Amino acid sequence: MWGTVAALIPITVAAIYLFGLPALTIVLATVTTAVVTEIVIYKAASQPITISDGNAVLIGLLLALIMPPSVPIWVPIIGAAFAIAIPKYIFGGTGTLVFHPALIGFAFLLAAWPTLMGTGSTPNLGSFSDLLIETGAGRLVEASPALVLLGGAFVLYKRYVDRRVALSATILLLLLMPIVGMGSQLPYVLTGGYFLGLIFLAADPVTSPVTKKGRLIYGTMLVLLILIQLHFDTYFAGMCFAVLLMNVFSPFIDKNTIPKPIGGK
Amino acid sequence: MIIPLQQHDGAVCDSLVSVGDIVSVGQLIGDGEFRIHSSVSGEVTAVSELPHPTGKDVLSVVIKTHNGEKREIEPVELSAGKIRRIIRDAGIIEPNGHPTLRTKEDIDTIVVNGTNTWDLSSYEALMLDHPSEVIYGLKALMETVGATKAFIVIELGSEALHVMRTETIPDNNIKVIATQGYYPPGTENTLSKKFAKKKVPRGSTPEDRGVLVSSIAAMKAIYDALCDGEPMIKKVVTVAGAVGSPRDVLVDIGTPIGYMIKECGGCSGTPVKLIVNGAISGAAQYSDEVPVIKTTTGLLVQTESDIEREPQAPCINCAWCVDECPIGLMPHLLYGYADSAQFDKCAELHIGDCVECGRCAYVCPSKLPIVQIIKYGKHGVAVMEESE
Repeated sequence: MWGTVAALIPITVAAIYLFGLPALTIVLATVTTAVVTEIVIYKAASQPITISDGNAVLIGLLLALIMPPSVPIWVPIIGAAFAIAIPKYIFGGTGTLVFHPALIGFAFLLAAWPTLMGTGSTPNLGSFSDLLIETGAGRLVEASPALVLLGGAFVLYKRYVDRRVALSATILLLLLMPIVGMGSQLPYVLTGGYFLGLIFLAADPVTSPVTKKGRLIYGTMLVLLILIQLHFDTYFAGMCFAVLLMNVFSPFIDKNTIPKPIGGK
Repeated sequence: MIIPLQQHDGAVCDSLVSVGDIVSVGQLIGDGEFRIHSSVSGEVTAVSELPHPTGKDVLSVVIKTHNGEKREIEPVELSAGKIRRIIRDAGIIEPNGHPTLRTKEDIDTIVVNGTNTWDLSSYEALMLDHPSEVIYGLKALMETVGATKAFIVIELGSEALHVMRTETIPDNNIKVIATQGYYPPGTENTLSKKFAKKKVPRGSTPEDRGVLVSSIAAMKAIYDALCDGEPMIKKVVTVAGAVGSPRDVLVDIGTPIGYMIKECGGCSGTPVKLIVNGAISGAAQYSDEVPVIKTTTGLLVQTESDIEREPQAPCINCAWCVDECPIGLMPHLLYGYADSAQFDKCAELHIGDCVECGRCAYVCPSKLPIVQIIKYGKHGVAVMEESE
């Protein structure tokens, strides 16, 4: 998973450039907490420590990127520890997760300290330069949509995330929005947060389906859920909950789309 | 010489010889479900369980060769009705372990597999060196089974393509087809569907649909049996990898692989892995005493620097294996269920359809031994079904 981490480095650097010291402390704090929590828990449970696979670092980094820069430093620290302990360790570790740990960590923080998790501004695509550096960014990841897409293109090319989920969801969302009369909300969707959610979070291989047909169904259902929440507001959190909700359906989709082998009846 | 008495998918043959017997080239030494002949002349020094390329110990006949003695093999007189019996008596086996002629179904199309993988080139060598013999064998087979059409499948860019095309110009019913390099090349049902346009439903063989899938090696063996009266006692085997001069060699069945390596210039460097039948789906051997058998097509010698050893990680549901499976199975689920001994689930997901090509394990980013575990699962399913 180090490849995915590498893909997120450019946007992390851009966020630190835009927000300065707070962004840097959040990134360092979450990544360190995630790694330390994993070592402590796996050691206590006397299981092999798997820091070297990069999963804990990735969870920490993803969680850091969806934080607002104004958040007090102890909030993301609690979130990172929670993300490793509950959704990762309790659910059986890498490979058997049901929910994406970074999203669960985010949902937990949002429920516990909604005011602290609020953002100072909501990004929207006003001019072309907003694609490169979004000055209205409310979260670290929103600093630059172009750099998120760059990292996204890399992980899609390398197949670190699922192409069918990521591409079907992204393309369908952008196509459907004008059709269902939500064209005016497109500027709010063409931001780093949405691209991160669709490419890095929704298409995460562990929590998305495995069958070829199932992955397309997953992407389509995800877009429908996102459209429903876009009807009411344009908050980034809504998309996160849409992904979490889809994680629940993932095993069910798999079970019902097992392909027919050659020669099968 | 070590000649195992099991060289196909089936029961071990009964030994017809005992210690001290003198045997000659082409003499029948094993009979039962299938026939096995001695490839050399000499004295039987042991009949015991010895290592076999599949990894288990199998009853084998050990023959100490005599120098100079060679039995004259008498050519068999040809008659169309006899051919079928001759082919059976010669003990001709396909590389996948099936007898070339296994049923008496009506066949209208024959598909001959002539494709190679990167480390196996024995078919190409046969086609380049013996094109007319191969065609002769094919025609004889067509006549025997009453086939009206035959396809020879060769991959694009192979030198054999031109040779075989020239060779088949006078025949309208034999077509040479060039195909993209594809792995796994020799899967019967896939070849049948792709070239004879006949789908093979689960539980039946291509023969049920009037298609016979065979290989170049079998064609040459048929020629040898018909024209020289020689049963299947020789095999062209590709020796590749870390040896002095990698090449295709014609060896007697029963030759230990260690001897074959020596003949090809010995190992360059310290051998770490000896893989029989292809880098992706072949089996690494415990010993170089293992003999060449009728299903052997190649031997790959690897040294430590050729081998990348990476620790195994948990499955992350990346679905690369699902995308890769040529049959349309769910390799990661089969792996999980077989690994936790849930054989009923394996059977539900049609573990028996797996052709063990190894593409899933090749792409697996977690480096899981998927094929080995699926083989274990198949065994588990067989045991489960037997006890029911």
